[in-house]
Amino acid sequence: MTNYGHRIRFGVEVLGGSDAPGDAVALAVLAEELGYDLVVFPDQVGEGGADALSLAAWTAARTRTVQVAASRLDARARPASVVARGAGSLQLLSGGRGMLVLGSGSAGEDLGVVEEAVAVIRSLQDTSRSRVSSAGTYHRLADAEPGPALDREVPLWLYGADTALAALAGRVADGWVADLDEVGVEGLAGLNAVLDRAAIDAGRDVREVRRSVTLTSGDAADVSALVALVVDHGVSSVVLRVRTGDATQLRTFIDDVAPAVREGAERALPPGALSSRPVRRADVRARRRPGIAYDHVPDDLVATAVEPGDAAFGKVRSTYLRGGNPGLVLRQRNAAEVASAVGFAREHMHLPLGIRSGGHGISGRSTNDGGLVIDVGALNAITVLDEAARVVRIGAGARWRDVARVLQPHGWALSSGDYGGVGVGGLATAGGIGFLARKHGLTIDHLRAVEMVLADGTLVRASATENTELFWAARGAGANFGVAVAFEFVVDEIDQVGWAQLAFHAPDPAAYLEAFGRVAVTTPRETTPFLILGQGIAQLMAMVDSSDPDVIVSQLQPFAEIAPLMQQQVVIAPYAAVMNMFPETPHNGRGEPVSRSAFTREITPGFAAASADLIRSGASHWYQIRTVGGAVADVAPDATAYAHRDANFALAVMGANAQRLDRWFEPVRRQSHGLYLSFESDRNPDRIADAFPSATLDRLRRLKAQLDPDNLFQDNFNITPARDHTRNAS
Amino acid sequence: MNSDTNTDYGHDLLFGTFVTPTTHPVHQAVEQAVVADRAGLDLVTFQDHPYVSSFHDTSTLLAYAAARTERIHLAANVTNLPLRPPAVLARATATLDLLSGGRIELGIGAGAFWDGVAGMGGPRRSPGESIKALEEAIAIIRGIWDTTDRSVLSVRGKHYDVHGAKRGPAPAHPIGIWVGAYKPRILRLVGRAADGWLPSMQYLQNGLPELTEMNRHIDESALAAGREPSDVRRFLNIGGQFTSQRRGFLQGPPSQWAEELTEVALTYGTSGFILASDDTTVTQTFAAEVAPAVRKLVADARGTSRHE
Ligand SMILES: Cc1cc2nc3c(=O)[nH]c(=O)nc-3n(C[C@H](O)[C@H](O)[C@H](O)COP(=O)(O)OP(=O)(O)OC[C@H]3O[C@@H](n4cnc5c(N)ncnc54)[C@H](O)[C@@H]3O)c2cc1C
Repeated sequence: MTNYGHRIRFGVEVLGGSDAPGDAVALAVLAEELGYDLVVFPDQVGEGGADALSLAAWTAARTRTVQVAASRLDARARPASVVARGAGSLQLLSGGRGMLVLGSGSAGEDLGVVEEAVAVIRSLQDTSRSRVSSAGTYHRLADAEPGPALDREVPLWLYGADTALAALAGRVADGWVADLDEVGVEGLAGLNAVLDRAAIDAGRDVREVRRSVTLTSGDAADVSALVALVVDHGVSSVVLRVRTGDATQLRTFIDDVAPAVREGAERALPPGALSSRPVRRADVRARRRPGIAYDHVPDDLVATAVEPGDAAFGKVRSTYLRGGNPGLVLRQRNAAEVASAVGFAREHMHLPLGIRSGGHGISGRSTNDGGLVIDVGALNAITVLDEAARVVRIGAGARWRDVARVLQPHGWALSSGDYGGVGVGGLATAGGIGFLARKHGLTIDHLRAVEMVLADGTLVRASATENTELFWAARGAGANFGVAVAFEFVVDEIDQVGWAQLAFHAPDPAAYLEAFGRVAVTTPRETTPFLILGQGIAQLMAMVDSSDPDVIVSQLQPFAEIAPLMQQQVVIAPYAAVMNMFPETPHNGRGEPVSRSAFTREITPGFAAASADLIRSGASHWYQIRTVGGAVADVAPDATAYAHRDANFALAVMGANAQRLDRWFEPVRRQSHGLYLSFESDRNPDRIADAFPSATLDRLRRLKAQLDPDNLFQDNFNITPARDHTRNAS
Repeated sequence: MNSDTNTDYGHDLLFGTFVTPTTHPVHQAVEQAVVADRAGLDLVTFQDHPYVSSFHDTSTLLAYAAARTERIHLAANVTNLPLRPPAVLARATATLDLLSGGRIELGIGAGAFWDGVAGMGGPRRSPGESIKALEEAIAIIRGIWDTTDRSVLSVRGKHYDVHGAKRGPAPAHPIGIWVGAYKPRILRLVGRAADGWLPSMQYLQNGLPELTEMNRHIDESALAAGREPSDVRRFLNIGGQFTSQRRGFLQGPPSQWAEELTEVALTYGTSGFILASDDTTVTQTFAAEVAPAVRKLVADARGTSRHE
């Protein structure tokens, strides 16, 4: 008995339609409706027929779930490099449903050419390298750019019934397919053995190569023979060859034969023998990191988990500002999966754990080196729960630009921050100092409830009436207590806003700052300005929550008079337009961001002078002041874990070198009080006390001792559990 | 108007877009094709640079976008011949033409960026070789499509050697072969063998007036080959910006664009304008405010000149 443990899949190979390829597509679409897992288009370009790659791409656009393969591709017909790009695009456009089958099946085929083609295709999918080369007489690459970056490699199978091809499949392929009427059952056993031997000799696991047969109608009715193929010969993909127009056969096979085969095989095999867990190639497994139970990743997470050797790794390893090299990224699609990921993380307490939503963390380490990442980016649904009360449920993985875009048609907005790419999960657990803050408060001030998976894996809801202490903590220190999966916010009625971008001549930064500080504190709440101060130049971005040009102009005028204007642009635009100013870019952060934060009630001469020194020193390339106060200060300091309610200004400074930056930043810190954790990357324990006043911190530590006593969640301003908690409580 | 300097091959006008085949976001190029289709444009085109890994494979993108659109025609602008063997290219294009109900055209070029081509395992060709190869390729492509010809397809060229290949599939409609070309030698090939000519405004070193001389090469070569100059449709890839102020050529309001493109159409016989646009609003403005206006102005001018 030979079985490789793969779940059984049923497919259809569509024959015919060379002059009417639309008929082939129609059959494929029907196959998907009927529940087939796979449609296969044999290439006909050698015989004056249709091009399989075009058929596959067209079909991918007309289907949603079925895997689409271009098959029997003669390795000589096209440059393998271009086939690789085509397969990459098919994979991207179809959401990971592409597949390639090389080999025309003709005996005496030059397998050297096939092998070169495989090498070229594999090389171009290896985006961990910046350039790839591959030697060959027929197919080669010389310093070519690998890509496109994929989420999952395109499965590469070989087709043919001779020994040499089976051996090649054993060495290099992800699957092997032969025509049953050509090999016969005996032949299949023999070739399987050849394939296994070749795989083992190449240091591979025999399960890396899936086995498949193509059936003609004659073989398709004999259920027990098909069960035997699965149970005794390890066949896991059973593909029926059907002519276009033969819908009846297509139906009979999937309705009557397939379930019987599945049932028969399951009965004959030990329970649980067949699984859909991916079997990674030896070269992929070789890039695994120590201390991670890769083979015990929970079943519900395996399909989306990314390991260092996987195609998707390049896309998920780093964040917007931070370079990373994690050992495993778990990407959840629902709260239950988050709970399983947290359970898996609990078994890896010896490793760093990052929680990632939008990947724009500065203080939060949402990537790491050799550890785990729980990535909830896919939980990005935005749903209006109550139109009249403006209650909106937002998944932690949503980005603020998308939130703004979805709310806009309702005439609503929710203040977040200044950058649309930032994720909801990180910002809404910390504060949310945005362009509407002075009028409408922080993002967390709009929170009505949060759903969180706690360290013990339970999913809880926290609000003013349930888990109230957690609700308090989640608004300012959420990252210490669990993984938020969704938030319910009451959003504001905001449609068009005034949006100003002003640039000033500011040769004397201290003078500019002081003047800015004076104007800002007396400005009506509708206006929330953010200031970026550089050497000689000040850039002011301000939002005015009004669509009345007179109000906008009159509130901006005092700012315009601070210093000579170099440039100005004032428009009336939807809030969503401001959040969508910058398009999404891939996350290729390198190194570690160095960021410092401070709050201040006013811009004193001392604060301004220290700031001016810092700016002149060159130790910082980014000095930004966001205004707060107003509605933010209407909330009591102990109402949420975000306690610095009395501040009017939040400073964020970035530099390249921490030591150098600190030398110039310390004087500024001495002139300020407290900090906003989201902009502080320093891990010095003193910073915790800056982030949270002592009463807040004590309360947080007590809750931490209850909810996360083993301190699983520590990637972002770790609040250590109160040690004496149990004693006090008893 | 002075007939010495004014050229008109009498084609109806086509308007389209030139969309970057970016893979980021994955479906952006497809969405831009859908926008162009819904806006009522005639054509959406994508460049083909298989050595650029941040672009989609153009042939796959064409198939996918064709399946997501309804009326618009699609073409590469232009296919990189050295990386796309002609017989397979012909069959792939015909396959798509059949699937799409006759909406595929074949933009093709002799190749460029030879380091990139060679890096992907393709041949490195001199300008002369690349033109020769293109001529052979066009013969092969037409031969593959022509299933009414019962003879054995045989093109024994220096770069491509096809002998005894089966013909077919026959496309659903006569697919136009449109060549991207600038220099006299390849322009003469266009005149002899192509159905369309697809230059880009940005590559005209001396601006639009260069088109006159280029047209002449095509016209003379067409006549010498026993064809009509009007057998070759003249396209132009254009770029511009809609602004409220008049700032320069195709930098201004749609009405200004319409006047300028009308002028181009009537002066150089250009009958296909393909705008580089990855922006929904720009594409919609082009379709709604420029295309109909140019059509009307050109029709008026043609009508007028007929009465003169
Ligand atoms: C360009 C830029 C502009 C910014 N502008 C502003 C601004 O104007 N105002 C403002 O307030 N902030 C701003 N920030 C800071 C931003 O709010 C934080 O960096 C925030 O953590 C980013 O959230 P994220 O989900 O994108 O980050 P991620 O990198 O995904 O996460 C960062 C950290 O947040 C925590 N976290 C993330 N998701 C969850 C979750 N689901 N449950 C629990 N904890 C979670 C984790 O500790 C994680 O390490 C800005 C950041 C950047 C990079």
